[in-house]
Amino acid sequence: MRKAVRLVALMAVLLTAGALAQVFTWPAKWTTAKPGEAKPGGTLVHYTISDFRTMNPFITAEADSIPDRMTMNDSGLVIRDPTTGEWIPYMATSWEISEDQTEITFKIRKGMKWSDGKPITADDWIMTYRIHMDPDVGSNSRDSFFIGDKPVTIEKIDDYTIKFVYPKPDAEAFAIASFSPWPAHVFGPVYEEKGAEGIKAMWGLNEDPKNIVTWGPFVVESYRPGERVIFKKNPYFGEWNQDEAGNPLPYLDRYQVNIYKDVNAALAAFLTGEIDVFGPSTVEHIAQIKKAIKDGKLDATLKVNASPIASSQFVVFNWNKKSDPFKEKLFRSAKFRKAMSHLINRQAVVDVVYGGLGTPMYGSVYPVLTQWINKDAPKYPYDPKKAAQLLAELGFKKKDKDGYLVDAEGRRIEFNLSTNAGNNQREQIAKLFVDEAKKVGVKINFRPIDFNTLVGQLLAKGPDRPFDAIIIGLTGGGLDWPFGSNVVPCKGNLHLWNRSGTCLDPRETLMEALYYKGRTTLDFKERVKIGYKLQEVEGDLQPIVYIAGPNYHVAWNNKLAGFHPDEIISSIWGAYELPLLYQAK
Amino acid sequence: MSAYLVRRLIHLVPTFLGATFLAFFVLQIAPGDFLTQWALDPKIRPETIERMRHNFGLDRPLLLQYLIWLKNLLHGDLGISFMYQRPVLEVVWPRIENSLILVGLSILFLYLIGIPIGVYQALRPYTLPDYVISFFAYFGLAIPNFFFMLILIFLLVKFKFAFGWTPFPIGGMTSQGFEQLPPARQWVDILWHAVLPAFVVVTADLSGLTRVMRGQVMEVLGQDYIRTARAKGLAERIVLYKHALRNAVIPILANIGGLLPGLIGGAGLVEVVANWPGITPLLLDALNQQDLYVNVGIIALSSLLLIVGNILGDLLLAVVDPRIRYG
Repeated sequence: MRKAVRLVALMAVLLTAGALAQVFTWPAKWTTAKPGEAKPGGTLVHYTISDFRTMNPFITAEADSIPDRMTMNDSGLVIRDPTTGEWIPYMATSWEISEDQTEITFKIRKGMKWSDGKPITADDWIMTYRIHMDPDVGSNSRDSFFIGDKPVTIEKIDDYTIKFVYPKPDAEAFAIASFSPWPAHVFGPVYEEKGAEGIKAMWGLNEDPKNIVTWGPFVVESYRPGERVIFKKNPYFGEWNQDEAGNPLPYLDRYQVNIYKDVNAALAAFLTGEIDVFGPSTVEHIAQIKKAIKDGKLDATLKVNASPIASSQFVVFNWNKKSDPFKEKLFRSAKFRKAMSHLINRQAVVDVVYGGLGTPMYGSVYPVLTQWINKDAPKYPYDPKKAAQLLAELGFKKKDKDGYLVDAEGRRIEFNLSTNAGNNQREQIAKLFVDEAKKVGVKINFRPIDFNTLVGQLLAKGPDRPFDAIIIGLTGGGLDWPFGSNVVPCKGNLHLWNRSGTCLDPRETLMEALYYKGRTTLDFKERVKIGYKLQEVEGDLQPIVYIAGPNYHVAWNNKLAGFHPDEIISSIWGAYELPLLYQAK
Repeated sequence: MSAYLVRRLIHLVPTFLGATFLAFFVLQIAPGDFLTQWALDPKIRPETIERMRHNFGLDRPLLLQYLIWLKNLLHGDLGISFMYQRPVLEVVWPRIENSLILVGLSILFLYLIGIPIGVYQALRPYTLPDYVISFFAYFGLAIPNFFFMLILIFLLVKFKFAFGWTPFPIGGMTSQGFEQLPPARQWVDILWHAVLPAFVVVTADLSGLTRVMRGQVMEVLGQDYIRTARAKGLAERIVLYKHALRNAVIPILANIGGLLPGLIGGAGLVEVVANWPGITPLLLDALNQQDLYVNVGIIALSSLLLIVGNILGDLLLAVVDPRIRYG
């Protein structure tokens, strides 16, 4: 709490010479640089693995995009404080929540300007929202403005006041409001005149960079297809973004992103100093960087196992197998799934698949979301004896002549397992699972298949779906409410184990109820309690058997400084705040 | 001659239709489509995916999709790239230009190096230099291009570690600060980046060309008219370059038509490894993501060029070889 008070004090309104901007002061605790240490100038050279597709924020669908790079990953009215995870005002100065918790009114920071010098006002948010919401534009952000089937609406009160109206109280209310605004004076006239088609034709990759406008720290200067995009400092950003010493941000003059189709090319570029930041993902990457540092060939900092990544690998069993009642009964039995969980040697997976650089998982909440993890939720770790015991309780006591467990009627536990072909990590996980299962007498026939076929099988609906068990993964997961809106509810399209459209197990019904209860609870502590309860039910039901996920590592060239302190280097917060980086050498 | 040309041009139509329809069909029978990649994204609702599938026309019958594509093609429209939300030609063309530089340079290298080497070998068959050259030529043929490029990059990185600089850039097409260079320097910079990958591409084709050249020259040198030319006292240089070489290059000329589709087809995985922003990385992305019209567009363009290239090759052959006449 004291931290929050201090932060509010830091963000006190300052009058700078000439401009009447209400300044956002970047806390010194977000960086390792001492106040006043950073110097202006220099360039950060970053990289991306696949080419950019557009500069248009309304049609971008890539994980890594030029609009996101310009707006600090789609930041807006509010951002999260990486030291606490709490939402703090950013392009807003304050907010008010209505009594029934369905309306939030934001006061917009005064004195902010677009990179072309025009003022930023409520109209920009309204226009951005309108365009995102137009189904003919096809914006990927459209779905984020829906709670269930009902849309969130936005009203302009005056030029510097804006009201978000939610269909019901929502845990992700601030996340929904945090989207980046885009200039109404650029997109508005086109939208009014030519509609969605006009918007879709704007800001392609061959757009003259002079026409690109953003509020963010850097704006596009040039783009070469398949090679690099260069951003230059937005001079108006520094009018309302300053460090604690009052210096305008960002420090860097330029921000360059090189495009490498091949991750080894990116590694080579990092080792030779052509790029400044690299995210190693394998043991070999880390070994090469370590060696280069040790041999004095590269002056860099390497952070290994900084945190787990919000990504998981798991086995899902199909509850909808009308054509095979024996298997259906088996897959619907929590005891069976617990036995399977006991057969997964997660430590071996971490050692073999991730080279020791991973984290075992036992539930749907990613281990990196530490404040959400219920350590007391039921777990079924590797223990073949317990697995055998559970299977015996299910009636599988004898072994047949091939050494596989059979029930009283002589039926074997045998099922098919698949994953997407070409995903080495998943194939290795599957092989470890098959071997362990064989030892206790469970026969698993493993056959990897094409990804799209796999997706088709997973998402098939109805009482009879065409698979037994699949190893797959999901990524993402919010800090506000880490349970998936289309995973937990029984009608959700990613309710992968049961796509019959109705809850089959009372614990599924309970999980769904807890999901909605948490989602509509605004108080964070209250919500965490509900999340804990949900994890207990989930652990007992084991609808999905979680396995493990990889860890996050990062390396940077020491010619740059101003990175995060170690405590906040993670897959969630990254290694730095872009405006706070500076060239040290 | 013109009747022959007209006939060949008429043949072009069914060949082109067949090739593009097959491509369209094969690409579409692969399971899933461009939108499947979002099916497991917890942030995207299934309704949204259905709506986009409808907008892209992917929910229509296959034949109808093909006919619509064909109709648009007649208006010079290759369709929309799903990935880029832009006309295919606009997406593909800058990449083809980049590939052209690399492939053009490697073809130049190929003939500049390959023909003299072949002639040299033909004049000294079964000697040590002949064997040494053949050995290296086959080495180049045997080693996969992408792997060779990886090795070179590895050596460059080692070189950089040892000396702090590199004789050639480690991948890419332009240097840092390229945008600030004057145009002439920009071209030098691009060529400097292209030399190594172009050389790697050449290594694969060199053995073929030198073998053909060596065999051709040796065969021609054994002909009666060469003996006649020598008998009438012509200098060996004139015998070789005026009489022998001119006849020896005929089969190579016939192949030039085949180079056309290669020009836009790019340099293959070398482009990926050397980080050259050519057509191959884009095509790989498009195949991975099932960006239908980019794939079909590239196939349509290269099959068109292949057909035109073959016609050109035949015509060239008639020009250089007086014995060939098309009725």
